[in-house]
Amino acid sequence: MITRAPARHARRRISEEKAAQRRLALWLCAPAALVMLLVTGWPILYAVLLSLQRYDLRFPGERAWVGLDNYAAVLTDPFWWNAFWVTVVITVVSVAIELVLGMLLALAMYRTLVGRGAIRTLVLIPYGIVTVVAAYGWRYAWTPETGWLAEALPAGSAPLTEKVPGLAIIILAEVWKTTPFMALLLMAGLALVPDDLLKAAAMDGASAWQRFWHVTLPLMRPAILVALLFRTLDAFRIFDNIYVLTGGAADTGSVSLIAYRNLIGGLNLGIGSTMSVLVFLTVAAISFLFIRAFGISAPGTQGERR
Amino acid sequence: MLAGTVAGCGGGSTGRPVVNLYNAPQENIGALVDRCNRLAGGRYRIVLNTLPRDADGQREQLVRRLAAGDTGLDVLGLDVTWTAELAEAGWIRPWTGEHERRAREGTLAKPLETAVWKGRLYAAPYNTNVQLLWYRSDLIPRPPRTWDGLMRESARLAAQGRPHYGEVTGARYEGLVVWFNSLIQSAGGGILTPDGERVSLGAPARTALATMRAFARSRAADPSLPSMREDDVRLAMESGRAAFQINWPFVYASMAANRPGMLRTFRWAPYPGIDGPGRAPLGGGNFGISAYTERPRESYEAALCLRDAESQKIAAVRDGLPPTIRSVYDEPEMAKAYPMRQAILDALQTAAPRPKTPTYQNVSTVTSAVLSPPDAIEPARTEARLRELISEALQSKGVLP
Amino acid sequence: MKADRAVMTRWLVVDLLVVLYALIPVLWIASLSFKHPSTFTDGSFVPRRWTLENYTGIFDNPDFTRGLINSIGIGLIATLIAIVLGTMAAYAIARLDFPGKNALVGASLLVAMFPQISLVSPLFQIERALGLFDTWPGLIIPYITFALPLTIFTLSSFLREIPWELEQAAKMDGATPFQAFRQVIAPLAMPGMVTTAILTFIFCWNDFLFAISLTSSDRARTAPATISFFTGSTQFEDPAGSIAAAAVVVTVPIIVFVLFFQRRIVSGLTSGAVKG
Repeated sequence: MITRAPARHARRRISEEKAAQRRLALWLCAPAALVMLLVTGWPILYAVLLSLQRYDLRFPGERAWVGLDNYAAVLTDPFWWNAFWVTVVITVVSVAIELVLGMLLALAMYRTLVGRGAIRTLVLIPYGIVTVVAAYGWRYAWTPETGWLAEALPAGSAPLTEKVPGLAIIILAEVWKTTPFMALLLMAGLALVPDDLLKAAAMDGASAWQRFWHVTLPLMRPAILVALLFRTLDAFRIFDNIYVLTGGAADTGSVSLIAYRNLIGGLNLGIGSTMSVLVFLTVAAISFLFIRAFGISAPGTQGERR
Repeated sequence: MLAGTVAGCGGGSTGRPVVNLYNAPQENIGALVDRCNRLAGGRYRIVLNTLPRDADGQREQLVRRLAAGDTGLDVLGLDVTWTAELAEAGWIRPWTGEHERRAREGTLAKPLETAVWKGRLYAAPYNTNVQLLWYRSDLIPRPPRTWDGLMRESARLAAQGRPHYGEVTGARYEGLVVWFNSLIQSAGGGILTPDGERVSLGAPARTALATMRAFARSRAADPSLPSMREDDVRLAMESGRAAFQINWPFVYASMAANRPGMLRTFRWAPYPGIDGPGRAPLGGGNFGISAYTERPRESYEAALCLRDAESQKIAAVRDGLPPTIRSVYDEPEMAKAYPMRQAILDALQTAAPRPKTPTYQNVSTVTSAVLSPPDAIEPARTEARLRELISEALQSKGVLP
Repeated sequence: MKADRAVMTRWLVVDLLVVLYALIPVLWIASLSFKHPSTFTDGSFVPRRWTLENYTGIFDNPDFTRGLINSIGIGLIATLIAIVLGTMAAYAIARLDFPGKNALVGASLLVAMFPQISLVSPLFQIERALGLFDTWPGLIIPYITFALPLTIFTLSSFLREIPWELEQAAKMDGATPFQAFRQVIAPLAMPGMVTTAILTFIFCWNDFLFAISLTSSDRARTAPATISFFTGSTQFEDPAGSIAAAAVVVTVPIIVFVLFFQRRIVSGLTSGAVKG
């Protein structure tokens, strides 16, 4: 009897504190959550509504609900599928190259004995530079007569006007700019590999390659997967590089570029929004696959488990 | 004294109402603006805003602002192919009454026609343009009148081991559509029916496509044909690797400046045809008035000044833009800058305008996508594909590449 | 000793490769910007005739200076707001227990990966209707949105590292949780906030798609968009020299950030994403 009262009292105090904490948390989170919801949630719903309409700004009188007609038009269109596969190719190839190159870069930054600080600083430059600015650099470098790289090509070739060379340059620009980001994420992963383990493996006679393959890589798996997910989704929305480098000529446009052309060039809000929704669904599917297949969980929630 | 302008909601620091002109880059347009500002005597002040270099970029900028109902646009420099689109969307004002009379007065028929949509005038023609055949008389003594003839000349020159390329705009952009449009009209047809409502194409289209394909596979074709635009064409000729080019008259001034040595044998002839004289592509620019302008009266007046005979003469002599007012061609200054002026006037008689439709942008985009690269054209199949995609484009239902 | 030297040499070679990788494209743009117009098309990596013409040219161009002002203003405001909102949310995530925390983290992750193009058409429509099209807020609002996940992730991992006993102590002294946060924790969190602010600013500075889609004039157009709309003096002249000079100008702030805050940027970039 006597002992129970203070306990209840304490419990009430705890729950009161909890409630206060919740209230504070809600107030603290509300603005950020609201902004994100208002600027992405509402527009994406609105995009779905627009995608169900015939809505061309040049023919305001013809606005009408057309059901899934726009989806049928886009999904049966060879230009759309070309853009889709171009985007897939750019994403897969550039992320694959970035992973290998990024790993080498990460190892170099992590293990180098000479000028470590300087190296880590310089590598941030490609990361920080404005994509459009870098793209102009690459464009002029590959333009015949202007560019130092174009000089190396046989006379009369204009790589940015042909499909395969154009895509190769787009991928080069993308890889150059984003590999440092990949490398930094991987470097943080490297830091998680205990030195003792590597030393022990070396004692057991494992070669450098075996140590990397059997010890380092498995321990880095989560870091690699997160880096891959981030870069894959980022690569899939590629726009700036293509806009500047080829402008989508010679079938080098990505899904973002073709959607932009229909939306802002064609002023066709119906078709453009349909593409927007399709891009969104693709990105959602990719994230889902990653999470399902590799069991990645959101970075922020990691803290909870520890 | 200032009451009038203050009521008109002010404007610049000087109190004069500002008229915002949006125009494609033109080196000496400042001279026209200064002249008209002087003549305005304080009634308005034109402020020049420069649009991007390429026509698509210009259109994108204008259309985005017009779609947003932006009141900051007054006088718009419009490509001849945009009239229908902007008029149909209600983004530019019709020209009526005294304004219309002054815009039509003395203006050549073909350029004027590009500013008309559904029987109403929507812009005042500023400059016109026609493509001609430009050739080197040391290589081609007598210019052929047909594409076949040109290909034969190239084959002959190639056999002799002399420069034999014939440069045309074969890149995937408006220039390719311009080429196709002229060929199909030279063959007696059109991309669309004259009312712009339906697809025409058919046999003339197949003839035009067969000619393009034959040219792209002939000795005349430069290997970089699929990436050539007007300026590449000009440079290829100036570099000496070409025997002829199809281009706008700006190439003459450029040749005079860059390769005076070559200018002596640099000649022009009418645009080639299928089996007779061809119908030259028609280009140029007009001034329209934004539907959202807050100063319509001043805007019309400014536009009329910027395209009057004196302004057109300055633009022609200093920037190489062919005038739309007939009398300007007879000015003495024109003789030196425009030795080819009679050829332009002749070509204007039969010049081939591009289809008139509010969805021209869509039609043009899909057409250039289907026609590129020209050596891959298969007349029957390509015609069928064009028919399908242009029909969709006309209703703005299809996807833009 | 011998082996050591061999190792050192090997690392030197590796380092040199990395340096070349990072710097060559940047040096190329810089070189273009110093080339005299008459030598612009010589294809040489090093200018044969140096000039500052391109730089004086762009600073005389009101469109570009206006674009710079827009970029700086919009970037700073968006960063400031994103940091304030992000800090609040990150504090809650790092320190407080509340339902919906995982949902919030998940939602911001979704936003981080959201394809921007999907928002261009609805935002274009909404902003036209609200009169936000072609205004500073019209760009600031989407920038905040896309910067928020970044700020929340980085800040929450910074905040976890803070010695929270101090907050307890402050509360013992009678401070409310908010006062404890503002007076004790916020100053400690400052370095993390600076880092996050730099990353956020770089993000805003870099954006191109929104900048060209949601603006139509120099009222709000930011520098990258302005550069892409540069025009030559005639229709047939490529404004390459001006583009190169402007490119160098917008790169300078990034280089400054990188030089001064290298360590912070690296830790900021990796903290949110990799632990796990």
